[in-house]
Amino acid sequence: MGERYTRLPKSEPLMLQTSRRQFLKLGLAGLGIMTVPLLAACQGKGEQPAPASPAASAQTPAASGAEVVTVRFEGWNYEPALVEQNLKRFMELNPDIKVEYTPIEGSQYRQKIVAEFTAGTQPDALYVRDDYFAGWVTAGYLQDIEGMPGLDEAYGRIYDFNAAAMTYEGKRYGLPYYADIVAFAYNAELLEKAGIKEPPKSLEELEEQGKKLKSAGLVQYPIAFGFKLTNDFWYDWWGLIYASGARLFNDKMEPIMHTENTVARDVLAWIERGMNETGIVDPASIELDGGKVRDAFLAGQYAYILFQRYEMARANNPEQSQIAGKVKMALVPSLDGENKGTVGWTRMYCLSKTTQVKDAAYRLIYYLGGLDESGVPYTAKWWFMQRGLGFAYKELAQDSEIRAKLQTFVDPDIYSRQAENARARENVQEPWYSEWESENQKLMQQALTRQISVDDVMKGMAENAERFKKQYGA
Amino acid sequence: MRIVPYAARPGLVTSYLRQLRQRSLTLSDNLFAYVLNLPALVVVLALIAYPIGYSFWLSLHRYNLKRPDLYRFVGIENYREILTDRVFLNSLKVSVIFSLLSVSLILVLSLTFALLLNETFLGRGVMRSLVLLPWAIPGVVNGMMWSWIFNAKIGALNGLLYSLGLIDAYRQWLSSPTSALLAAVFAHVWNMVPFSVIILLAGLASIPGELYDAARVDRCGVFQRFMHVTLPWLMHPLLIVLILQTMNAFRTFDTIYVLTGGGPGEATNVIALQTVRTVLDFTDFGQGNAYAYVIMLITLIISIVYVRLLYKRGSFET
Repeated sequence: MGERYTRLPKSEPLMLQTSRRQFLKLGLAGLGIMTVPLLAACQGKGEQPAPASPAASAQTPAASGAEVVTVRFEGWNYEPALVEQNLKRFMELNPDIKVEYTPIEGSQYRQKIVAEFTAGTQPDALYVRDDYFAGWVTAGYLQDIEGMPGLDEAYGRIYDFNAAAMTYEGKRYGLPYYADIVAFAYNAELLEKAGIKEPPKSLEELEEQGKKLKSAGLVQYPIAFGFKLTNDFWYDWWGLIYASGARLFNDKMEPIMHTENTVARDVLAWIERGMNETGIVDPASIELDGGKVRDAFLAGQYAYILFQRYEMARANNPEQSQIAGKVKMALVPSLDGENKGTVGWTRMYCLSKTTQVKDAAYRLIYYLGGLDESGVPYTAKWWFMQRGLGFAYKELAQDSEIRAKLQTFVDPDIYSRQAENARARENVQEPWYSEWESENQKLMQQALTRQISVDDVMKGMAENAERFKKQYGA
Repeated sequence: MRIVPYAARPGLVTSYLRQLRQRSLTLSDNLFAYVLNLPALVVVLALIAYPIGYSFWLSLHRYNLKRPDLYRFVGIENYREILTDRVFLNSLKVSVIFSLLSVSLILVLSLTFALLLNETFLGRGVMRSLVLLPWAIPGVVNGMMWSWIFNAKIGALNGLLYSLGLIDAYRQWLSSPTSALLAAVFAHVWNMVPFSVIILLAGLASIPGELYDAARVDRCGVFQRFMHVTLPWLMHPLLIVLILQTMNAFRTFDTIYVLTGGGPGEATNVIALQTVRTVLDFTDFGQGNAYAYVIMLITLIISIVYVRLLYKRGSFET
C-alpha cells in the first residue's frame, strides 16, 4: 500500500529568501515601530493641565508648535452639518484641539454607543439623553465633571429640573445640549372654519371640538399620537398625563398609578375611547411615530398635535410646512381644564469615563453646553436661532434676539408659561427606566386595540416597575 | 521445538518491517491531514465554536451592561426565569403561530410555483428569474417595502382596494393584532418562497422521466402521478425546505422589526425580536443569550422530529 498523500518536493520560496536572524531582526523592528504610537497613546499624550476657565482658554490659542490633541466626539445625527459648522468654529478658537466628530443614526444611537463602550472603542465626549443617563452612569460609562472650571457658574444659571437631570447621586455629569418640553399646538384656520374660537382647555372640550371638526368634514381624525413601538419615550402621552397632574410613583419610587393616583388611567381611557368610539383619535396612531404624526399635521391632516416645542419653528416655516402661519400653541389640555404642567427633557454632553484627554474634551463640551468668555451660553443660543431648539439657560428666555425670533413663530408668553411647570419623568433616573417605558408601550397598545383593559395596563405598569427594580437589584 | 531467530526468517522480518513502516506511515498521514486542516479548524473554532460556547457561558450569568457590578454566575437561573416569564411565553406562542402559518404557506406556494416552472412553456426562463427576485431583497428592505404597502394613510393595498370599491375607507392593517400578524406572515412568505422554489425545482429535475411514462401507461391521472411519483421523490427536498424554513421563521427578526416593531402590543412580538430587544435595547446579555439558546433548542428539536418522521419516506435505496 503506497503513501496516501504525495508530499510536495521542496521548492524555491516565491519571495526573497531571508535568514531566520534577518527575519527576527525585521520582526522586532516592525514591532518597535508599531509600539511607539501605542505607548504614546497609553501615556495620554494629550493630557494637559486644567485651565482656570475653559472659556478663557478657548480664546488662548496654544503656542505654535504645541501638540494638537484629538477629541473623539459622537452624537445622534440631528443636523450634522450644523454641528460640524459649530465644531469648526471651536477648532478655530482652540487650535490645539482637533475634534473628530461622528454622527450616528438616531434610532440606533443607544445600541451603538453601548456596543462601543463594551468593545472599548468609545468616544471621549458624547451626547446623552436623560432617558439612559442614569443607566450609563451606573454602567461606568460616564465620568463626573465635579471640580471642572466654570461648572458652578453654568449650573447656577440653568433651570433646576435640567440641572437635576444631569446630576446623579449628588454628582454632576453633563452640560446641556438642549432642553425642551411637550407643547400642544393647533391649526387655527381649521378651528376657525369650524366656528371654534378658543383652543380646548380640557380633554372634554377637545373631544367636543374634534366632533365638530369631523362633522364639518374638515378632517377625518382631529388628532393623532405617535404610539408606534419605539426605543424613545412616548412624549405626547407623558405630556398629556402631566398636564392633568398625574403621578405614577411616590417619593419612595413605588408605583401608585394603579392605586392612589388614577389620572394616567383616566387619560388612557380617554384616548382609547377617542380611538375606538368617538373617532377623534386616528386609529393609525399605533403605526405612526412622532415624526410621521408631525408631518401629517404640517400637511393639514390633523387639527391638533402634541409635539416637541421646538417644532413650532418648523410648523410656521413656509419652507417646511404647508400650514405655516396657521399653527398656534396653547397649554396642553387636561382632564379638569386646568393645565398642571407638561413633560420636559434634557439632552446633554458628557465625558466618557476612560477618556485620556479629559481636559480637552471638557473644553469642547463646555464650549457646546457651557458659557463663552463673556458669560453667554453661545451654543445654546446659536441652536435656538438656527433651529429653535429649547434651552436650559434661564436668561435666554429674556434675551431680546431670542424673543424677537420667537415672535416670528409662536406667542413668547405661552412658550415660556408652559415651560414653567414642566416636569421630568419621575423615574427617568432609574437605571431600569428605558426597559419599563418599552414594556409599557406594548401594554398601552394592547389597551388601545382592546386586547386588555386600561386597568390591566396600570397594573401591568406597576408589575413591570417592581420586576425591573428587582432585576436591577434596587 | 527449535527456535528460529527472526534473522534466520527473512520473510517474517520483511513482513514485520513493512507492517511497522505502514503503521508509521498511516500515523504520519493522519497527522499530516490534521496539519493541513488545522487552519480551517482554527478558523471554525475561533469564529463558530468559541462564540457559541461563550454565548452559552454568558447565558449562565447575570450580565447586564448597565449594571456590570451585578455580574455573577447564576447557573440556569436565566433559563428558569424566562420559562416562567409572561413576555417570553407570549413571544414563543407568537413565534409558533407565525412559523406554522408561514411554513405552511411557503410549502404550498413554493411547490405550486416549482411544479409550474418545471413545465415547458414560452418564457419559462424569464419567469424563473422573476420568481427569484424577492429572494434578492434583504429582510429590512422587505419590511420597509411592505410597511409602505400596508400603510394606513398612503398604502398601495388601501389604494388598490379602495379604487376597486372593495373598501369604503382606508384601513389600518397594522393596527389590529390579527391583520398585523397576517401582514408579517405575508411579507416573510413573499421573501422566502423563491429559495424554496429553487430547492424543489432541483428536486423535480432529478425525478426519472420513465417513472412518469410508466405511470401514464398505468393510466394514472395528474393527481395520481403527483401523489405516487412526484411527492415521494420530492420528500427529501421538501424535508430540507421544511427544516430551513422553520429555522428561518423562528429566527425572523428584521422584516417584523421594521414592519410592526412587534406590535400592536405583543401581537407580532416573535421570540427573535424579544431576544434582540433584550440584548441590544435592555443590554441584558445574560438573559438575551438564554433566549438565543432556547430558540436554538427549539429549532433543533423540530429538525430532529422532521428528520425522524420524514427522512425514510424519501429513501428509495433501502
